[in-house]
Amino acid sequence: MRPHRRKDIRKENRDLMLMSLPAMVWYILFCYLPLFGVAFAFKRFTPVPGKSLFVNLFANSKWVGLDNFSFLIRSSQMPQIIFNTLFYNLIFLVTGIVLPVFLAIVLTEIHGKHVSGMVQMVTVLPYFLSWVIVGYCLYGFLATNEGQVNHMLRFFGEGAVQWYQSPKYWRVILILTEIWKTTGYSMVIYMCAITAVDRSLYESATLDGAGFWDKVRYVTIPQLHPTISTIFILSVGSILASDFGLFYQVPLDSNSLQPVTQTLDVYVYKALMQQANFSYSAAASFLQSTVGCILLICANTVVKKIDKDSGL
Amino acid sequence: MDRINKVQNDYVRPEDSSFSNRTNAIVTALFIVLSLIVFLPILLVFIVSFSSEQSVTAVGYSFFPEAFSLDAYRYLFRSGTYLTRAFFNSLFITASGTVLGLLLMCPMAYALSRKEFRYRRQLLVFLMIPMLFSGGLVSSYMVNTQILHLKNDYLSLILPGLCSTWYILILRNYFQTSVPNSLIEAAKLDGCRHLQIFGFVVLPVAKPVVMTVTVFQMFAYWNSWYPSLLYLDSNHTELYPLQYVLVNMERSIEAITKDAQYMSGMQSANPPAMTIRMAMVVIVILPVMVLFPFFRRFLKTGMTVGAVKG
Repeated sequence: MRPHRRKDIRKENRDLMLMSLPAMVWYILFCYLPLFGVAFAFKRFTPVPGKSLFVNLFANSKWVGLDNFSFLIRSSQMPQIIFNTLFYNLIFLVTGIVLPVFLAIVLTEIHGKHVSGMVQMVTVLPYFLSWVIVGYCLYGFLATNEGQVNHMLRFFGEGAVQWYQSPKYWRVILILTEIWKTTGYSMVIYMCAITAVDRSLYESATLDGAGFWDKVRYVTIPQLHPTISTIFILSVGSILASDFGLFYQVPLDSNSLQPVTQTLDVYVYKALMQQANFSYSAAASFLQSTVGCILLICANTVVKKIDKDSGL
Repeated sequence: MDRINKVQNDYVRPEDSSFSNRTNAIVTALFIVLSLIVFLPILLVFIVSFSSEQSVTAVGYSFFPEAFSLDAYRYLFRSGTYLTRAFFNSLFITASGTVLGLLLMCPMAYALSRKEFRYRRQLLVFLMIPMLFSGGLVSSYMVNTQILHLKNDYLSLILPGLCSTWYILILRNYFQTSVPNSLIEAAKLDGCRHLQIFGFVVLPVAKPVVMTVTVFQMFAYWNSWYPSLLYLDSNHTELYPLQYVLVNMERSIEAITKDAQYMSGMQSANPPAMTIRMAMVVIVILPVMVLFPFFRRFLKTGMTVGAVKG
């Protein structure tokens, strides 16, 4: 190889820098520029029309310290919102790992390769539909007059249910919807991880007289450990985040369902777009970001303590 | 990456499986039933879109309508501008978002994959920070609308979703591990600059992963409706993509009815409102479902990269 001269190296670095420049500009505009907006959470935003955002935020608005946060936490709906967010996320944490891992393990063992391929393709499909579409798929079942479910209820002589007005069913409905949309996708991810496991491990386990469940317990699960813990850490880090589409669009933004469907993300959106309450909205997302960041780092450290090879 | 390529061809052979033939039959049957159940909601939407409006009034949204009809689709196609416009908006946003996103992400991923690049580490950290901490919805909304003036135009639907650190890392990993370094060194000896190496050597070799990111990006833009919710207001219906037309279903049906009346020049009968809802949903799902089998290979690569670390 030709020894690189200093000038060459400088030129190369410049070329590479120029190649990253467009993406860097994007990151600065859309990721770094909004970072100063964290100040919204600590200000009472009183914009003067015609002035630029910076002037309005930093010169025309008063610092209020942690006032926004204390108001936010004392507001009457907040406990409900935080509870909903944590409730759904904890359930999704379990259903999002246990269910797909189990299905992946069983599906990998199936003899027919075409069947397995078909099952994967069909179950992954919902993941690539938007929440809007998912909302309408559900609407086909739950619409008050035309819905399939109410129709069946009437057929069996039961009274129809106003689904979009009855909060008590929606915890289950939302959980089932989330499972429907994401399980197939996670299952395929775990299947890929399973097929990457060294086959000889299974062969020697068979020679040692291990049955199916022994192999699952002593070979597959330990081998899946890195994948599972990566996904675990990421979900712990987003424990205060929620899928806006699932909680806003799937219940068709129904007001009477709010007690069970309102999560932090829905609150952040509504406070901003419907109530123009910049400070509270910003305080809520600041809380979300900070708690998420801290939890992510904690979870990563803990997982790494338990098993050196796992973690991000 | 080698491992991943191997994985895709490496299905479990029957003799490796712990299932006896009987267990296998039962489990296979269960999985087939399961996938049918998963498919039911989508099937329902399709069937309803092809049922007649009278049937929906009589038996509701049913898997077994009394009569099939193409009324909903006929109505939608005749209604003209509103929906056609939305369809082309969606196409345009998807195409330009995908192409622009790749144009930004691929070169940066290439730069990050080169060991001789001096600022590699710094740039990686620069990309990781937004993954950990973001300014939140309020500030990105305010910056986008007030500083970058993205409001009520196509750019406001395209620009905010262009890059993703995740995709850049996937691309970088592939460039680093699957493109032989000797190839790049040889090109350098021939006097190629990095942009040429990237375009003529690395991209052709890395086609599979570039396709993967393309497909994911395409689906993401085709499915996106959140930016429209934030940046489009109701006076700009001409910018609505299909997904947002669905979000505003009631108002959309009104607009389509008006369109149809205008087109046919008379007060036509009531639109088949119940079935056109579902027909519109089908119009959005159909491209995804038709392309899905072709894209499956690439999607799987993408998912595997997410799963297997390194």
